[in-house]
Amino acid sequence: MQLMNIKISGLMLGMLMATTQLFAQDNGQGQTKTDDFKPMLEHRILAGFNFGATAPVGLPNTIRKINGYWPEFSPSLGYELSYRATRKWGAAVAVKLDYKGMGTKDEVQYFPTIITTDDGGRFEGDFTGKNQTTVRNAYVSFPISAVFTPNDRWRFNLGGYVAWLFSSNFYGTVSDGYIRNGGSLGEKIIITEATFDFGTEVRSFDCGLQGGAAYRVGKRLSIDGNLNWGLRPIFPGDFKGMSFPMYNIYLTLGVAYKI
Amino acid sequence: MNLRKLCCIAASLGLLQSCIKDAPTNPEADITTFAVPKNQLTGDVFIDQTKRQVRLYLTDSAFKNGIVPTISVSNGAKVFPASGDTLRFDSTGTTQYTVTPATGGKGKIYTVRVVGTGNWKFGFERWDTVSSEGASWKYVNPLADDGRNLWASGNIGIAITGVTEINDFPLHVSSDAHDGKYAAVMETKPGNALSGWMGIHLFAGSLFMGNFVTDYLLENPLKCTQFGQPYRGMPQRFTGYYKYQPGAQFQGKDGKPVPGVTDECSIYAVLYSGTSRLDATNILTSDRVIATAILTDGSAKADWTHFDIPFQNLSGKVVNMGEQVMLAIIASSSKDGDHYRGAVGSKLVLDNIEIVNE
Repeated sequence: MQLMNIKISGLMLGMLMATTQLFAQDNGQGQTKTDDFKPMLEHRILAGFNFGATAPVGLPNTIRKINGYWPEFSPSLGYELSYRATRKWGAAVAVKLDYKGMGTKDEVQYFPTIITTDDGGRFEGDFTGKNQTTVRNAYVSFPISAVFTPNDRWRFNLGGYVAWLFSSNFYGTVSDGYIRNGGSLGEKIIITEATFDFGTEVRSFDCGLQGGAAYRVGKRLSIDGNLNWGLRPIFPGDFKGMSFPMYNIYLTLGVAYKI
Repeated sequence: MNLRKLCCIAASLGLLQSCIKDAPTNPEADITTFAVPKNQLTGDVFIDQTKRQVRLYLTDSAFKNGIVPTISVSNGAKVFPASGDTLRFDSTGTTQYTVTPATGGKGKIYTVRVVGTGNWKFGFERWDTVSSEGASWKYVNPLADDGRNLWASGNIGIAITGVTEINDFPLHVSSDAHDGKYAAVMETKPGNALSGWMGIHLFAGSLFMGNFVTDYLLENPLKCTQFGQPYRGMPQRFTGYYKYQPGAQFQGKDGKPVPGVTDECSIYAVLYSGTSRLDATNILTSDRVIATAILTDGSAKADWTHFDIPFQNLSGKVVNMGEQVMLAIIASSSKDGDHYRGAVGSKLVLDNIEIVNE
């Protein structure tokens, strides 16, 4: 995991450098064209909702059927500070309160799971049956972007984000099935309904890529869409409750208000 | 990046949800049923998925002539010898069935054991260590002196909650014996975090004649204990030796201490009609019960104490000629252990028990 952190930080550093280089080039061009544009700071309030999933990238074949999906109430509220270095190019950093949540109902087959408890207990087995999961995690996130403003209406941004978890929910039920102790050849235990709660296992740090576009509809108001793609599995590597890594993949739809 | 690209990304996000892959091939390799005509049985066939044994309780003629079992296995799996093949019993009364899963991978080999109803004297001198391939747990279970698998306990259920060491299981072997080298010791143990999720805060030590099925472990654990083995005739007395030390603090189902209550042990035998087993939900209440022999004094006994309890028929109940009956012997270090009440540390040592026939 340490390695991954380094990789991701490296990636973000790379993007920042790319951005600054762009500024440098553009500034140069600006000077030669004797543009009357003056670099400036901009402030925006961002508000919206997150729609998406905390999900594996590509469904494993143990998931047989998705019977339902619903977004949880996942508001996103933040403040963005951007520096417009040239008419077209700039950079932005924001602080956001991001709820990322969803619910799914699905059916799984031979789904491996390992549950460990604080007292050292451990249960390992393959589950076949129905599952319902609700995820609702709240993060303080810091997106950092390169901003491209081709004209009066459009504004695009691309970058990365880091986020710290401050409240987590990851719970649900398994029902109408059975689990096999130790794996597919183990003893069968019928499950009519049982609950699980992996909320405390969710990692406190998340980071990933983000990018989006805003379209100005009023003097100060823009409609804003931004995709946040987590690159760090939300559960640590030693957590085996889910046999595959899951990522926060959410689209923020909302408004940006320039102040 | 333009808006179109962004839309593509958003759309692909939606697509992730819809790409359900082909179903995984079934890796399971169970013998799910092993059907033998009822008139050839003295007790229902039991498939022990932990020990991978098919236990048969046969009439003399079925044993002599062989049986033609109808075998069903996990979907897509194959069994060899096939269902419908005649099974004859060689001198050891053992044969093996190999189940290969649909995946073609590792399967299971089930051993068929004919469980005879010989003598009903048990010295708990022979013990079997039970584990599962790749499992970290190990526990012991007594065998009859001739090696028959007649006894069971809740140990496998407790193994599933994560207990691993032999002596951490409520039922284990004691070298403090009344006679011979060993005796059976049942010790009430505290629950753990996993059992706590199921509302179980205490594991009473238990030993019983019969089988343990894991299927109902979460749904209704009391149905997991399948009490009884086929019996012939009418038992007269239930005798044996025991020691008992109740634990210090009695606790309720919620795990909270209940002051002023002392734990008691329970030792009893039940004779009932039929070939299908009764369980902890109905062993004393079923209208199939014919006679019982129940130890009434469950209090502390520091030294080996002899018990000799006559079977008492329930009013109007007798064993009719030719009727199939089953007999269960049940012992626990906590009398209310089936309701998860008792005292952690309660310890019952049992040795040299016998069902005296007429």
